[in-house]
Amino acid sequence: MSIKAENLTHIYNKGLAYETKAVDDVSFTAEDGEFIGIIGHTGSGKSTLIQHLNGILKPESGRIFIDDIEITSKNVKMTQIRKRVGLVFQYPEYQLFEETVLRDISFGPKNLGLSDDEVVERAMEAMRLVGLDFETYAERSPFELSGGQKRRAAIAGVIAMRPDVLILDEPTAGLDPKAHEDILNMIRSVKERAGGIVVLVSHNMGDIAEMTDRVLVMDGGKLVRDGAPAEIFADEEFLKGIGLGVPPAARMANVLAAGGLASDRSVLTLGDLTDFLANRLGGAGGGADDETPEVSR
Amino acid sequence: MGVDGLRYAENDSIIRIEDLVFAYGRENEDAEADSSRARTDATFNAVDRVSIRVERGSFTSVIGRNGSGKSTLAKNINALLLPTGGRAFVAGFDTADETAVWEIRQRVGMVFQNPDNQLVSAVVEDDVAFGPENLGVAPEEIRERIRVSLSAVDMYEHRKMAPHLLSGGQKQRVAIAGVLAMKPEIIIFDEPTAMLDPEGRAEVMDIIKRLHDEKITVVLITHFMEETVTSDRIVIMDCGRVAMEGTPAEIFARSDEIESLGLKLPFVVELSARLRERGVPVPSGLLTEEALSAHLLALNGKARN
Repeated sequence: MSIKAENLTHIYNKGLAYETKAVDDVSFTAEDGEFIGIIGHTGSGKSTLIQHLNGILKPESGRIFIDDIEITSKNVKMTQIRKRVGLVFQYPEYQLFEETVLRDISFGPKNLGLSDDEVVERAMEAMRLVGLDFETYAERSPFELSGGQKRRAAIAGVIAMRPDVLILDEPTAGLDPKAHEDILNMIRSVKERAGGIVVLVSHNMGDIAEMTDRVLVMDGGKLVRDGAPAEIFADEEFLKGIGLGVPPAARMANVLAAGGLASDRSVLTLGDLTDFLANRLGGAGGGADDETPEVSR
Repeated sequence: MGVDGLRYAENDSIIRIEDLVFAYGRENEDAEADSSRARTDATFNAVDRVSIRVERGSFTSVIGRNGSGKSTLAKNINALLLPTGGRAFVAGFDTADETAVWEIRQRVGMVFQNPDNQLVSAVVEDDVAFGPENLGVAPEEIRERIRVSLSAVDMYEHRKMAPHLLSGGQKQRVAIAGVLAMKPEIIIFDEPTAMLDPEGRAEVMDIIKRLHDEKITVVLITHFMEETVTSDRIVIMDCGRVAMEGTPAEIFARSDEIESLGLKLPFVVELSARLRERGVPVPSGLLTEEALSAHLLALNGKARN
C-alpha cells in the first residue's frame, strides 16, 4: 500500500480574474503504516489537496497513484478509489441521513455491491472500531446521539468501506475535551487494528505532535516542509511566519530554554516536557547536577 | 419609567438569570446534541433551573460538554430564545418583555463559531454597516462606527475587501466588528475559535481580551480550557444545570470533578499537577504559561546555586 502524488496542481476559477492556484506543484509519497499529519493555515490548500486523494477533485496537472493504480486517470472508476481511500470531511455528522445508525453506516458498503450479511458484518466491525456498542446504537436514529457519538457514527460509515488510506479533516473540531480525546483514541485504535495509511489534517499542533510520525506543511498551495514532527516543530519562527505554531509543550520548552533551562532532546508533548522537567528539577537530591550542564545558547 | 427604575438596581449585575428553564419541544427540536434526551421525554429542559449573575465589565467563561446547555443559555441572554420558566434580565430589561427585545439585542452582541455564516455582504465595510443601518443610524455616524469598529479589530485597512478573500481569523474579526458597530455592552462569543488555525485563534483571543480591557462585558463559550484561564469567572454547565462556578484557580483546583464533567485541565495546570507528582515543588494556582515558566526558571536558578 502506498500513495504517490506527482506534481499536483489545482486551479480554482481557471481563466477568471480571481483564478487561484490552491495546490501548486505538490509531490510526496506515503508508505504503508505511516501516520501523516497535514498542517497549514486556513486557505493554504490542505482540504483541496486531500480531496484529490480520493478523486473528488481532479488536478489541473500532475498524477496520483494509490499502489499502482493511477486514480487521476480518466478511466478509473470512482468505486475503485473509494474502496481504497476513505475521506472523513469536517463536521461529518451533518451528512448523517438514514433512519438508523446501522443503515447509515451500511450505506457505503452496500454501494460496493456486497451481500447483506457482509454489509452488516462490516458495519458491526466499524462500530466496534469507533467504540459504538452495536446492541445499544444500531437501531437508534443517528439524530438521537450526542455530538461526539454522531461524529463517531459518521466516521464508522467511512471505516466500513475498509479503506487502505483513511483521511480525516479536522475530526475533533467543535468537540468537548472528552469527546476530543475519545476521537483521537478511536483513530489510534483504528490505525493499530486496521493498518494502512492514516492522514490527519488539523489545526491542533498538540494533536499532530501526539499522533503522527510525519508532518506535511502547506502554505500558499505549496508543500513547504515534509519531515518528522521533531524536525518540523523545531522551527517555531518559520511556523509562526506562516500562521501556525508549535505544540504547547514545545512552546513552553522554548521559553524555558531562552531562560537557561534547555533540554538536549526534542520536547513536543506533555509527556516529554514532564520527563524533562522532572529529571532536571525533581526529587530532593535531584536537580541540575544530575545531568551534564547545558551549553547555554 | 418603571423599566429604568429596575436597571442597574442590583449591584451592577448586567446579566441576571433567575431559575431559568428552557425546554425544547419534540417539534422544535433544533436541539443539536441535546436531542438524545428528547427521545424519552416529550420535552426536555436544555437549561434546567439555572441562576447566574454576570457583573458589568467582567469576563465570564462558560464551559461544559457538547449538549450541556451552554448555547441554549446564551441564546436566552439576547432573547433569541425566551425562557420556558424563570427569568432573564439584561441591563435590567426582562427578556420576556416583548417591548424590550430591541433594547436587549442592541446591548448584547453575539459572535458564533463559523465566520462564513455571519458575514452577509460582498465588502467588509458594508458588512459592518449592516447592523447600524437596520437601526436607522445616520450615515455619518455609521461611517464613524465602521472606522472605530474595524480599527478595534485591526481590520480597517481591509475595509474595501471581499470577506471571502480573508483568512478565518480575519473573517471572525470582521464579524466582531459588525457586533461592535452596534455599540453593545455585552458580547457573547459562542466557540469563536473552534474553526480557526493557530494564528486565527490567537488573533481572536487577543481581541476578546482587549474588549474586556475596554470594559465590555464578555461571555465566552469554549471547549478550549486554555482560553478560560484569564477570565474572571468560569461557569461549568452539565445536563442543563450549573455544575460548578468560580474563579479559574478555584475551578481548576478540582481536577477530579473537572474530568467527571467531560472536561480537562488547561495545559499549564495539567503540567503542574504531573510535576508535583514527580516531586517538583510547583504550587497550585499557576494558570498561565508565563507564571509557570517563571516559577520553573526560579527553581532552576536555585538548583544551580
